[in-house]
Amino acid sequence: MRRIETEAIVIGGGATGAGTLRDLSLRGVRAVLIEKSDIASGTTGRNHGLLHSGARYAVNDLESARECISENRILKKIARHCIEDTGGLFVTLPEDDPSYHGKLIEHCRYAGIRCEEIGVREALRMEPNLNPEILSALRVPDGTIDPFRLTSANVLDAQERGASVFTHTEVEEILRDGDRAAGVRCRDRLTGEKIEIYAGIIVNASGVWGQRLSASAGIELRMFPSKGSMLIIDYRINNIVVNRCRVPSDGDIIVPGDTVSLIGTTSKKVDYDRIDEITVDDDEIATLLESGEKLIPSVSRARVLRAYCGVRPLIAVSGEMDGREISRGIVLIDHEKRDAVGGLITIAGGKLMTYRLMAEMAADLACAKLKAGKKCRTHRTPLPGSERRVDQARSVKFFTGIPNSVVGSTLYRHGHRIRNILHREKRNYGLICECEMVTEGEIEYALKKLNVRDIVDLRRRTRIGMGPCQGQLCAYRAAGLFVKYDSATSDESNKMLVDFLEERWKGIKPVLWGDALREVEFGYWIYQGLFGLGDVRFEEEAEKR
Amino acid sequence: MIRLQNISFDHCIKCTVCTVYCPVARATHHFPGPKQSGPDTERLRIKSPELLDESLKYCTNCKRCEIACPSNVKIADIIQSSKWRYFKKSLRPRDFFLAHTDLMGSVATRASLLVNFFIKLPPVKLFLDLFFRIPSERRFPKYARGSFLAWYKKHRAEQEAFAERAVYFPGCYVNYNNHELGKDVVTVLNAMNIGVIVSYEKCCGVPLIANGYIGRARKNALLNINSLAASAAESGARIISASSSCSFALKHEYRNLLELDNSAIFDSLDYITRFIHERFLKGNLPELKPVRLRAAYHSPCHLERMGGVMNTIEVLKKIPGLDLTILHSECCGIAGTYGFKKEYYRVSQKVGAELFKRIERADPQIVITDCETCKWQIEMSTPYRVEHPVTVLARSIDGGKL
Amino acid sequence: MRYDCVIIGGGLSGLTCGIRLAETGASVAVISTGMSALHFSSGSIDLFGYNGEGRTVYRPFEFLDEFVGSNPRHPYALCGARQVREALFYFRGQLDLEGIELYNNDESNHFHVTTLGTLKPTFFSQRSVFNEKIRLAFEKKSMIAALNFEGYRDFYPELAVINLRRNVLFRNIEIITGKIVYPDYGDPQRNPFEYRSVDIARIFDTERYLEELAVQIRNAASGAAFAAMPAFLGISNFKRHHKLLQELTGLLIYEIPTLPPSILGMRIDNALKSRFASLGGVYIAGDTVTGGSISGERLESVVTENGGGSALSAGSFVLATGSFFSGGLVSEFSRVREPVLDLKVYSDAERSRWYAPEFFPRRGHPFLEYGVETDERLNPKTGDGRRVKNLYCTGALLPYYNPIKEGSGGGVAVSTGYRAAELILEGNS
Repeated sequence: MRRIETEAIVIGGGATGAGTLRDLSLRGVRAVLIEKSDIASGTTGRNHGLLHSGARYAVNDLESARECISENRILKKIARHCIEDTGGLFVTLPEDDPSYHGKLIEHCRYAGIRCEEIGVREALRMEPNLNPEILSALRVPDGTIDPFRLTSANVLDAQERGASVFTHTEVEEILRDGDRAAGVRCRDRLTGEKIEIYAGIIVNASGVWGQRLSASAGIELRMFPSKGSMLIIDYRINNIVVNRCRVPSDGDIIVPGDTVSLIGTTSKKVDYDRIDEITVDDDEIATLLESGEKLIPSVSRARVLRAYCGVRPLIAVSGEMDGREISRGIVLIDHEKRDAVGGLITIAGGKLMTYRLMAEMAADLACAKLKAGKKCRTHRTPLPGSERRVDQARSVKFFTGIPNSVVGSTLYRHGHRIRNILHREKRNYGLICECEMVTEGEIEYALKKLNVRDIVDLRRRTRIGMGPCQGQLCAYRAAGLFVKYDSATSDESNKMLVDFLEERWKGIKPVLWGDALREVEFGYWIYQGLFGLGDVRFEEEAEKR
Repeated sequence: MIRLQNISFDHCIKCTVCTVYCPVARATHHFPGPKQSGPDTERLRIKSPELLDESLKYCTNCKRCEIACPSNVKIADIIQSSKWRYFKKSLRPRDFFLAHTDLMGSVATRASLLVNFFIKLPPVKLFLDLFFRIPSERRFPKYARGSFLAWYKKHRAEQEAFAERAVYFPGCYVNYNNHELGKDVVTVLNAMNIGVIVSYEKCCGVPLIANGYIGRARKNALLNINSLAASAAESGARIISASSSCSFALKHEYRNLLELDNSAIFDSLDYITRFIHERFLKGNLPELKPVRLRAAYHSPCHLERMGGVMNTIEVLKKIPGLDLTILHSECCGIAGTYGFKKEYYRVSQKVGAELFKRIERADPQIVITDCETCKWQIEMSTPYRVEHPVTVLARSIDGGKL
Repeated sequence: MRYDCVIIGGGLSGLTCGIRLAETGASVAVISTGMSALHFSSGSIDLFGYNGEGRTVYRPFEFLDEFVGSNPRHPYALCGARQVREALFYFRGQLDLEGIELYNNDESNHFHVTTLGTLKPTFFSQRSVFNEKIRLAFEKKSMIAALNFEGYRDFYPELAVINLRRNVLFRNIEIITGKIVYPDYGDPQRNPFEYRSVDIARIFDTERYLEELAVQIRNAASGAAFAAMPAFLGISNFKRHHKLLQELTGLLIYEIPTLPPSILGMRIDNALKSRFASLGGVYIAGDTVTGGSISGERLESVVTENGGGSALSAGSFVLATGSFFSGGLVSEFSRVREPVLDLKVYSDAERSRWYAPEFFPRRGHPFLEYGVETDERLNPKTGDGRRVKNLYCTGALLPYYNPIKEGSGGGVAVSTGYRAAELILEGNS
């Protein structure tokens, strides 16, 4: 069995885990990240990508609100290329309680969040697709953030500074050395290989899966999973975040994100045993469509691309409460103090927005325990891709000969790193995913540099398969490129093609009507009718590379 | 910001069929095809208007993508409206003059002999090529003396005497260049006991739209809608046009592209061969003398899109002695003012090459088509002569020589 | 305007029906919203490929004889086994007149190789997919060279070869892969990495580059008997070029369909339209039938989007509008309907039952089996239960069959289209 010695282990490749890995690496600590699936495949990849101004929490949770606005400002500097500073609105509809409007203004002031009242006409000018019946509008510094890009950039930075990353690798057991957690034994789920890693400190950043993980170390960590569902509309029906100005409830936000818009969310309790089997229910879809339409009427005519759900990583510190009202506060647990198990800390709770702060807290504690490492620099150091403000006009000029839409899309996803990706070479800028303008060059870059082990991983790094066709044309092409660039054998490629299509299917199923059904019929005709992919018999064991 | 009219791109299921049938994508690598230029990149342009590709300008608006699309995506409309929404308006004098046909027409018809003479001279053509980038191969249509409207005024009384009347929108070509075609319309309709009320305010707007002069196009459109509605109301008549492009614009582009309310005239509008054919079927068939010619019919893109090619064919079939071949439907390439621009000329000719080959293979005595710009293109690119179906029908009625 | 028959839907089924009717001198109009599903088909005609347990059917006509008895609602049962046979061979005869030869393995199915190297049972294929020479060479276990154009993003022979090698039928057959480079054809600006199948087909539209290509194929094939390539040999001049290329290379040229658009399917589409036109049929493209007027038990006329109120009337009508992709059936949040005349549809009231839990399910997706219910004469019922006696429904619009699971799509389209024509002719005599 392979054995690795390092200083720190981070379990969990969501934003928090990736952020912690990066923070430790910036402090000069050697660290290893272990993630059972792919980065940002848990809660990080299943939220609405809102870069909170904090206004949503201002009325009920002042502390969270303050954390939000402070991190909001930091992220806008260090993660520039992952963020779109769209601005946000809080709108009051005729049936809403008008007093909430005043409360919001007041509490935002306490929290230090700029909250400006604007006229209805001005709001409609800013966002023409808004429901014209709104009574009032408040403007806040909301934005949107791409969680995949963010997590990937953190991981890339950490790796460039010497960290190691193991994706598709599951921790089977936390290895104990007396009253200390000394390391982990894990298994690569794709190859079957087992690895033992030893470190001075283990950071559990596995989010809602932490309960299971800690149990293997004999520690009780109670999670309170709450499912939230979202609908994706296949194009951007709004350019500014639209919030409903009322007590937070189901379906009160529509967030634009890259080329789509997202209607969110709902809140349903879910048993811990079922956190890996959650699905979107029909009543949730109906609620989201109904409330979405109230904010932006054209929702009723738009094509719903897919529906997905994520589990909120709420950690029950005490008692039992309704999912939405538990504070989304950050929880940092030193298991030496709480459970007499040394060498293990847990960082949990919080939200995507505050990942960097959570990582800082975890890294601070980890370094204190290791008695090593310098001070935190993550708030000052831009992530790869955000090193410099990207100038679209200049990039377009630099890449003359390549269509603007292609340059613009690649720039949008990778920021300053575009120079490593696009070249004025025909093979490089040929399009593979035509919906989202993903070039062969971008895929090559992802395969070689961004820990991509299958097409689903590739999707997270490049947006391939996230457009209207949901992979119908590009999935086969992507599978072929894995073989072309020696990132997979032909057999593995065939298998990952099936896996990718099944993964896309999970999110399309719940909304299978109208154009989504037509698209699926078309895709199924191609992949099963024409290609016979469903008839391919795979080898019993995975081929070792 | 998203206009409701443009969300037909939502229905695109990426089947790629439009790109197969796009004649421009086939002719040049500069144009990536209607799927990419339309529904694919429209999603990106909604997010960031700067993600605009120059390649959009190659689209000729032939609408064959829409004809091929199984999902009812208005692909060409999406591309056209993106063009004038996101590109800065062209300040080129050439584009101004090509687009403002009323201006050019009213000046040129006053000095038609001179203009027609000069515009043929090789040094003038060279000058236009070098300084205005109008390819010297291009032949301009001759200007007539005075306007058709002026001719009509002298004959108005006798037309109004007919019990049944139709309102005729002649368009720029008949008004400024080819009065004979307008007179042929009168001949045909009179032979069917229908009087012709000519109503012309402004150019239908097709060249204005194509060159980005949307404000002017809208103004023209509103004037046209009002004047046509008034004329039709007066005589309780249908409104017809003998130009497939004008018909298409009046009926569809006004409401889909210019987003104007043309309900006052929408239901009354007919392309002329539909009008004639419907009456033929009802028994209003004038005496037709034989026209013994071998003819090949070319269906213009806008007529294909609008529907009604069938009517022209059925009307032509009624002419005794006419040996009619229906050419396989292909775009001629001129696309209105597109073929008059040096930067698109080669593409324009390459697009039409397939049609020219087929015409040569058919080797007819005349080519028949409903669109005036198709006529110019075919006459320039092949040795064959081109006439409008109404002209052929008029000769069949009055026994004159074609 | 009046016709003897108006056919709504210009795909495989509609055109087969139209050709059969036009052949007898009837005046026929076909109205089609856009291009048909032939544009992404394999270009072969599937009669019956798999039985109820998913096992391959080897002798489809024999199978059919038994099948129709125990599956009375299946479209094949509505035609009867005898008429299915008649229809298919009629279809072959018509395509033959247009220069498209369809080959079959006597009474048996044969297999065609797919993009991923799986084998699909089918009955009729084009000459570059099955013929006697191919059958013999395969029986002799001759070597196969799977070749691809360099940079063509829609075909990856490695993915196919590994699946082929695993197939028991290909044991002891050597398969190699190789590359071909595009000829230097004077448009160096085009990005060859973005070619679709039609772009390649257009390069080889003339014989100009065939010799050069032949040299490359011979070299890359290194002694193989077959050169298996992505379909590219043109749409109109296919027959001549295929023959020529085989002569020049001395190899059997085998075509594999790839991502849409399908060159193989387009050949059939082209041939059918050409045949229909030569028989005097009127094909109205890019128009949509939006409704019709039914009085008593007859459909009197239909109106179209471009028709502007003027109706098309006919003695008989055929509705061959296809499945969801083509717009023959429309699905909404909680129901499935037929959009032209709101005919009675078989579907499920519960949307969650329209599909299977996996994308590649064993039992297929239920929605593929939805459609307009008809009686044995292919006549449908309106929403309020009235039968429409001069309206015939054909093709993918019909319910109670799964074209993909059964491998019967082409066969059902052709036979029901043919049957509708026969019923109309019968009714008129």
